[in-house]
Amino acid sequence: MEPTPAPDLELEHLRAQVAAMSKDAILAQLAAGVIHEINTPIASIFSNIDVIERSLDALEAQLGPASPPKALGLVKVIRNLVQVDRMACQRIAGIIRSLKLHARGEEEGMRTAGLNGLVEDSLLLVGSEYKRRITFVTDLGDLPPVECNPQLIGQALLNLLVNAAQAIEGEGRVTIRTSVDGDWAVISIADSGSGMTDEVKEKIFRTAFSTKALGVGTGLGLPLTYRIITEQHHGTITFDSQLGRGTTFEVRIPIKSKEQ
Amino acid sequence: MNPQPEVVLVDDEEMVLTSVSALLMLETECNVHTFLSPAEAIRHLETHPVDLVVSDYLMPQMNGIQLLAKSKELQPEAARVLLTGHADKASAIQAINAVGLYHYLEKPWENAQLLMIVSSAVERTQLLRQVQAMLSDLDNANDSLKDIQTRLIKAFL
Ligand SMILES: Nc1ncnc2c1ncn2[C@@H]1O[C@H](COP(=O)(O)OP(=O)(O)OP(=O)(O)O)[C@@H](O)[C@H]1O
Ligand SMILES: [Mg+2]
Repeated sequence: MEPTPAPDLELEHLRAQVAAMSKDAILAQLAAGVIHEINTPIASIFSNIDVIERSLDALEAQLGPASPPKALGLVKVIRNLVQVDRMACQRIAGIIRSLKLHARGEEEGMRTAGLNGLVEDSLLLVGSEYKRRITFVTDLGDLPPVECNPQLIGQALLNLLVNAAQAIEGEGRVTIRTSVDGDWAVISIADSGSGMTDEVKEKIFRTAFSTKALGVGTGLGLPLTYRIITEQHHGTITFDSQLGRGTTFEVRIPIKSKEQ
Repeated sequence: MNPQPEVVLVDDEEMVLTSVSALLMLETECNVHTFLSPAEAIRHLETHPVDLVVSDYLMPQMNGIQLLAKSKELQPEAARVLLTGHADKASAIQAINAVGLYHYLEKPWENAQLLMIVSSAVERTQLLRQVQAMLSDLDNANDSLKDIQTRLIKAFL
């Protein structure tokens, strides 16, 4: 029997990295394509749902209360179905939004932007989806504008907010704070969710690591967020997590760009 | 009373044309002309006065900005609105000033917002036309005044 050669650990590691990167790139491209293709039909359906409701209003006004009950009943049936369609559509729109997280935002580039505004925008997106069971609390400090890629920072924040919301079973609270600490703008996102075991803590920044059900998590959120914060913005991302109590992620972005 | 507003709608997706024209026909007095290709829309613009042109951005032969530029050339007072997909946003915004966009909407659009834009755009165009008509009336009046003046002067000289 041939002796198995000792695995070249570094080479293995590099290979895995390359494989993971191209997987990310492929997924990002795929996501961008899917978003583009779905956007127009969804826009059309959304509009039609609204026009159908407006038409029903007009029809009901024409019919008047003295119309045959059958006719009024039919209007009601259509109304209910349209409402279901609207909800179904909103579900799809939600999926598109989460896909957008993984589609790369290279179009916009770096510029000066206010981080508080980006926090508020991301919160608007996530908030509408989770507000029934999760209370979002903000404590936004006085931040100077920061040199950043707003689209990418928005993606990073969305990732963190969605993770925080998904970590909470039932009702809970997510607190977002921003502040200045020396040369850094600091954003912290704290959730009252499940927290993580030590084993999970070690792996969260790995590509495709996810503890979530298939279809809920792809495990791309944090690796992408990590790259956005550290590579593109020369910032840092750290976290503190207590099993059963919750998790706090902290993002730091340099206030002065490296070039200055 | 103003004549029925004339709206031109251009998108390479039939479904968008159907959705938007259904909305406009239900909620406005507009006469809506839909075109799947910018070339056909331009042919219409060459021969018919129009109050508003709403165009998609990404289309096979010619993009929405190019079409709206042509529309500006043919009928400068007609309002121009761009309706774009998410991915075209950056390139579209760059070109906004070039064609003097009245408004810019992203798909998926809000019908209520679209309706507001359409009605204010149409009103603006019709006001512009009225002002132009009044100005040319004034010009005419001025011209005849000048005529009278010259005739009077001649009579006295
Ligand atoms: N706030 C948090 N609380 C508890 N666990 C978390 C939190 N954030 C991340 N995790 C853990 O880290 C894992 C990886 O997160 P990541 O965002 O990379 O992927 P995901 O959320 O599973 O999927 P995706 O972000 O692609 O939808 C998660 O599956 C979860 O186990
Ligand atoms: Mg995630």
